[in-house]
Amino acid sequence: MLEIKNLTKVYDDGTVALRNVSFTVEDGEFLVIIGLSGSGKSTLLRCINRLIEPTEGQIVWDGMDITTADPAQLRQIRRQIGMIFQQFNLVKRSTVLTNVLSGRLGYVNPWISLLHRFPPEDMEMALRALERVGISDQAHKRADELSGGQQQRVGIARALMQQPRIILADEPVASLDPVLAHSILGHLEQLNQEEGITILCSLHYLDLVQRYATRVIGLRDGQIVYRGTREDIRRMADEEFKEIYGEEAVRVSVGPHEGGE
Amino acid sequence: MATRTTQREVQPSLVSAPVAGVASLLLPGLGQVLVRQWQRGLVLLGSIVTIVGLMAWRVHDLAHREPGPLAMLIKALQRRPFFIVPMLVGVLILWLWNAWDGYRQAQPERRGGAGIFALVIVLLFTLGWQIGEIDLYKLATELPDAWRPLSRVLWPWPAAVERETETIGAGADILVPCEDNPPPPPEEIPGQPYLVATPTCGELSSLDENNQIVPGTILTLTGRGFAPNTETQIWWVDPLGNEFVVRQGGEYVVFETDDQGAFELDLIMPYRLIPPSAAGRQTHRVEARQVSAVGKLKIGDPLVISISRMVETIFLGMMATFFGILFSIPVSFLAARNLMSSSRFTIAIYYLTRTILNIVRSIEPLIWAIIAVVVVGLGPFAGIIALTVHSIAALGKLYSEAIESIDPGPIEAVQATGATRLQTIMYAVVPQMIPPFVSFSIYRWDINVRMSTVIGLVGGGGIGFVLIQYIKLLNYQAAGIAVWFIAITVAILDYVSAEIRQRFV
Repeated sequence: MLEIKNLTKVYDDGTVALRNVSFTVEDGEFLVIIGLSGSGKSTLLRCINRLIEPTEGQIVWDGMDITTADPAQLRQIRRQIGMIFQQFNLVKRSTVLTNVLSGRLGYVNPWISLLHRFPPEDMEMALRALERVGISDQAHKRADELSGGQQQRVGIARALMQQPRIILADEPVASLDPVLAHSILGHLEQLNQEEGITILCSLHYLDLVQRYATRVIGLRDGQIVYRGTREDIRRMADEEFKEIYGEEAVRVSVGPHEGGE
Repeated sequence: MATRTTQREVQPSLVSAPVAGVASLLLPGLGQVLVRQWQRGLVLLGSIVTIVGLMAWRVHDLAHREPGPLAMLIKALQRRPFFIVPMLVGVLILWLWNAWDGYRQAQPERRGGAGIFALVIVLLFTLGWQIGEIDLYKLATELPDAWRPLSRVLWPWPAAVERETETIGAGADILVPCEDNPPPPPEEIPGQPYLVATPTCGELSSLDENNQIVPGTILTLTGRGFAPNTETQIWWVDPLGNEFVVRQGGEYVVFETDDQGAFELDLIMPYRLIPPSAAGRQTHRVEARQVSAVGKLKIGDPLVISISRMVETIFLGMMATFFGILFSIPVSFLAARNLMSSSRFTIAIYYLTRTILNIVRSIEPLIWAIIAVVVVGLGPFAGIIALTVHSIAALGKLYSEAIESIDPGPIEAVQATGATRLQTIMYAVVPQMIPPFVSFSIYRWDINVRMSTVIGLVGGGGIGFVLIQYIKLLNYQAAGIAVWFIAITVAILDYVSAEIRQRFV
């Protein structure tokens, strides 16, 4: 169970990204965070694994306070939290395999890993992870030779290497076309249902939210303005959606639900 | 645009149009300032002051011996009418135009475009033509004279090979001045070349008080026993042991022997400056020499020296690049803003490093070479130091900019996996750094080899070192060989570095 208590983040330039945000995530949930760009979604996700240091508040995970963890503890915590990014954040010049193996860095001997050497079982694990996301034939290509959808799958494979209990997904499909979006979110849903990995995911399209979320949090100006269950979100009308997104929001329909690539 | 229009409406002119015109006539730009076009006014004032100032300087240079400014102007006008007249007319037009412009700027619609500034630029170019002493006529007329030495540089290869030479000759002693006991003619040994001069004493050519040459005694030289039909030179050896080929009427005394290997000619004793302390009886010597090539062709000294110095140059550039890379990597981290922005102390280091890099980089490698020569003396080591210093500054800046431009995304992603700081650098930073590092380093090697040819001119070793010597000795063919090697090497290097960069990036 992940508890976020009174989380506040103020950036150095005075921007208040999060105001007193509190919520709880049960194990095995697919929690979707919605909100406009700049509403604090990315900051919230990055505060959970402390890529961004929170200004105030607490994040407690199974009784362990992430916010006060020392560097060594923090690395122990981070390696159990996978992360997927909007821009994929792969090292473009490295091979797909190296990118996937880098998900293992929190587990292997740090000194040996500097020589780019990984134990054989990790190599095997990486190939299995790539197989699982359907791109095992691309393992030895350079990451930037892959298409956007394939790159995001590498991102998922990298997160899988961490054997994570939680995956944070920061707008994982915002840079992809709508058809690919379902393919990527399908992989996340599969991990959520088959392995019980908790997913925290920020999304833009109501269609996607309705299709995948088990629970929804709406952020606006760094504050939680909406909390809904699976049933609430299925019933959600455009008017409510607009309340979270502001008047400019237009409902965009996203492709067929069984979309592939 | 809209905001600018409203600004103009908000700020009306302070004075009426005629006043602005008169103000500009009195002091250029004043009228424009008064109508609140102060930028335009200041630029006009600056331009006119600059042009008039530069012109005054040129007039002074052309006629600095004249007593007063007016006399100077008249003299300058006589010397360079095609420069002074257009400039005077131009400045006058500019001044009047500026007054008219002040008048027009005071109108509500603020008319008057950039034409006046076009005139300013034309005048500055006219001045530049004069200051730069551009002389196309000279270029066209004197190019043919330069053709002989130039052609030797362009096609120097005859000097690339040479043969062993053998010199045969004979000489006779000449006493200066003619006193008692002139030296006897040398003994003739049958089968050997023999030279006799009559008389065996005389006066050297000298200069009178008007620097006119007073010809010396005429010697009749008779030679026998030389190689027939062979080029022969007359050499003069003074009592100090200095020897030179004698010139007569500006030409070297060079002739061919007849079928019997004999010759006879008259020679005016040459001019020779002898130190006053050596006054008194002096024995000079006149010699006839024949130089003949014998033996097989062999590689000439200029070629051997050029090749060895070129190798030295390439390695000089290589070592400088190596040391440059070695030292600039740590420096570049200190000069990368994204790495140094965490605290005030590190930002201070960042600014300090950047400033030092900029200063060092703005000093040409040539200057660094002169400094290095003072420290370690002539030779390639001085060149290595000079190029290393400059490379550190140049690469430090390029590397630090490469570090600043890396994508933070992968760093974030690798950190999120629980990686240590070192692992993050190894997996997220280094792969992004390799292409620009390789590219900049190769580029720098390329620059360093090219620079090292120039560094040699000031004593930094390498091929430039011998090139400047050949040029000073007027040995254009040898210089040409050095230039050819520089050109070939630079071309190859250019190609290789482009290829490598393409492969890596």
